[in-house]
Amino acid sequence: MDLRDILKKVVLLGDGGVGKTSLVARYVVNKFDDKYIATIGTKVSRKDIQIVKPNLIINLRMMIWDILGQKEYSKIRSASLSGAQGLILVGDLSRPETIRSLESFWMKEVNAIVGRIPTIIVGNKVDLTASNSMAGTILESMGQRLGVPMLLTSAKTGDNVESIFSTLGELLIADLITKQVATKEKAPQSLAEVVDFIVQDFCAQYGDLEKAMLIIQHQFEDAGVDIRKPAKDTVLRALDGLAKAEELSLTKTVARVNLEERQRMIILAKG
Amino acid sequence: MEQDIKTQTLIVMSVAIFATLGVVAFVVPFANQNTRLFFIMVVAVLTGTNVVGLLTVWRSSPTIVDEVFLMTPSGMLLKHYTRRLRPDQDEDILAGMLTAVQNFVRESFDEAGGRLNEIRFENYDILISHSKNIVIAAIISTKKPERLRDQLRTATDDMEMQFGEMISHWSGDKKELGDVDLLMKKFLSGKYRK
Ligand SMILES: Nc1nc2c(ncn2[C@@H]2O[C@H](COP(=O)(O)OP(=O)(O)OP(=O)(O)O)[C@@H](O)[C@H]2O)c(=O)[nH]1
Ligand SMILES: [Mg+2]
Repeated sequence: MDLRDILKKVVLLGDGGVGKTSLVARYVVNKFDDKYIATIGTKVSRKDIQIVKPNLIINLRMMIWDILGQKEYSKIRSASLSGAQGLILVGDLSRPETIRSLESFWMKEVNAIVGRIPTIIVGNKVDLTASNSMAGTILESMGQRLGVPMLLTSAKTGDNVESIFSTLGELLIADLITKQVATKEKAPQSLAEVVDFIVQDFCAQYGDLEKAMLIIQHQFEDAGVDIRKPAKDTVLRALDGLAKAEELSLTKTVARVNLEERQRMIILAKG
Repeated sequence: MEQDIKTQTLIVMSVAIFATLGVVAFVVPFANQNTRLFFIMVVAVLTGTNVVGLLTVWRSSPTIVDEVFLMTPSGMLLKHYTRRLRPDQDEDILAGMLTAVQNFVRESFDEAGGRLNEIRFENYDILISHSKNIVIAAIISTKKPERLRDQLRTATDDMEMQFGEMISHWSGDKKELGDVDLLMKKFLSGKYRK
C-alpha cells in the first residue's frame, strides 16, 4: 500500500452570479472573507479529499482559486490562472447565456493561458429548473463533445456539490494511477523481501515508528513468525493482527485494502 | 524586540554618563590640572568602551526570520517553516492569497510589470524574492530587514539553481519534492551566506 500526498491548483470560473462562490462556500476550508473576491479579484480556499485505490491511498489537496466572474478583468485573471492544474466551469441553468459562454469564452481563455487541463462542467441552480430543461441538455451535449464530465448541482440544496470535487479529483490523479500500474508489474519478490516491505509500509502509514515497531513485534510473536526464516502461513496470520491495529489508527476501509494487498503479495512471493 | 530595548537602554545610559562626566571635567574648577586631565582620560576611556560595546551589540543582534514560505510563482506552497510552536494549518491558503495580492498590485499599479517585493507592517515585514520558478517570502520581525534582503536573494538564487528545473514541472506529489530543507533551514537561521 502506497500513500501519497498530492497538491493541485484548481480554478473556478464562469460568468458573474452563476454561483461559484456559493458552491464552494460550505464545502471548503475558508480563511478569507468573500469580499476579497470583489477587492482583489480572487479568493483562495482549500478542499481535501481522500481517494482510495487498490494499492494506493491518495490524500488530494485542491487549492481552489475562486475568481471574479466579470469578463472584463482578463489581465488580473490571467495571473490567477497561471499554473492551474484543474478547472471547474460553472454555468447557471436558469440563464442559458451563462451556459453558452462556458465554451465560447471561459474554456477558450483557459486553453490560451494554461492549455488543456482536467476539467469538469457544472450546471448550477438545478433547484430553479425542471430536470429536463433546455440548458441541461445543452450542457450534456457540450460535455460529450468536449469529453468532459458534467454535473447538475445546486448550491442551495447541496445537491451533487461534493461530486464536483470527487469527480475532478479522479481526473487530477489519473496520470498518477497509470504510473503506479506501470511500476507494479515487476518480478515476484522473495518472501523475506515482501515481509520487509510490509514492515516498512506499516510503519510509514502508522506514523509513530516506535509504536509501530512494538505492534509488529507483538503481532509477529503472537503469530509465530520467525523473522530470519518466515513461513507464509505465520506471516498471513500476523497480517490480520496488523489490520486490526490499522483499523484503529487509520480507517476500516484503509485497513481492509492494506490487508488484501499484503495477503496478495505474500501469496505471490517466492519461497 | 528584546534586543532593541537593550540597545536603547545602553545608549541612554552611556549618553547620561558622558554628559555628567563631561560637565564635571569642564565646569568644575579643579585646583589641580592633573585631576582635570584624569577626568578627561576617564571620559575618553568610557566613550571608547561604550562605542565598542554598542557596535558589538549592533552586529551580534540576530535578525529574526519568523516564517518562511517556499512557493511556486503560481502561488502553490511547497514548504513552510515557522518558529511558532503551534503552527496554523492554513499556510497554503495564505501563500495563495499572498500571490493573489501580488498579482493584483502588479496588474493595478505597475504598468511595467514590476513585482511587489516587500510589505511593511508596524511590527514586521514580509520580504518576497522571486526567481523563474521559485518565490520565497520571509516574515521578519526585527527592525533591520535590510541585512536579510541580500540573504534572501542569495537563497532564492541558490534554490533556483538546485531545484528550479524540478519545481517547474513538479506534478504536486510531495514525495517528488527534493530535499529543500537544508538550504531553507540555513536561511531561517538568519545566517545565509554563499
Ligand atoms: N436558487 C439558487 N440560487 C443560487 C444557487 N447558487 C447560488 N445562488 C445564488 O446566486 C447568487 C450569486 O451567487 P454567487 O455564488 O455569488 O455567484 P458567483 O458565481 O460567485 O458570482 P461572482 O463572484 O460575481 O462571479 C447568490 O444570490 C446566490 O445565493 C443555487 O444553486 N440555487
Ligand atoms: Mg463569487
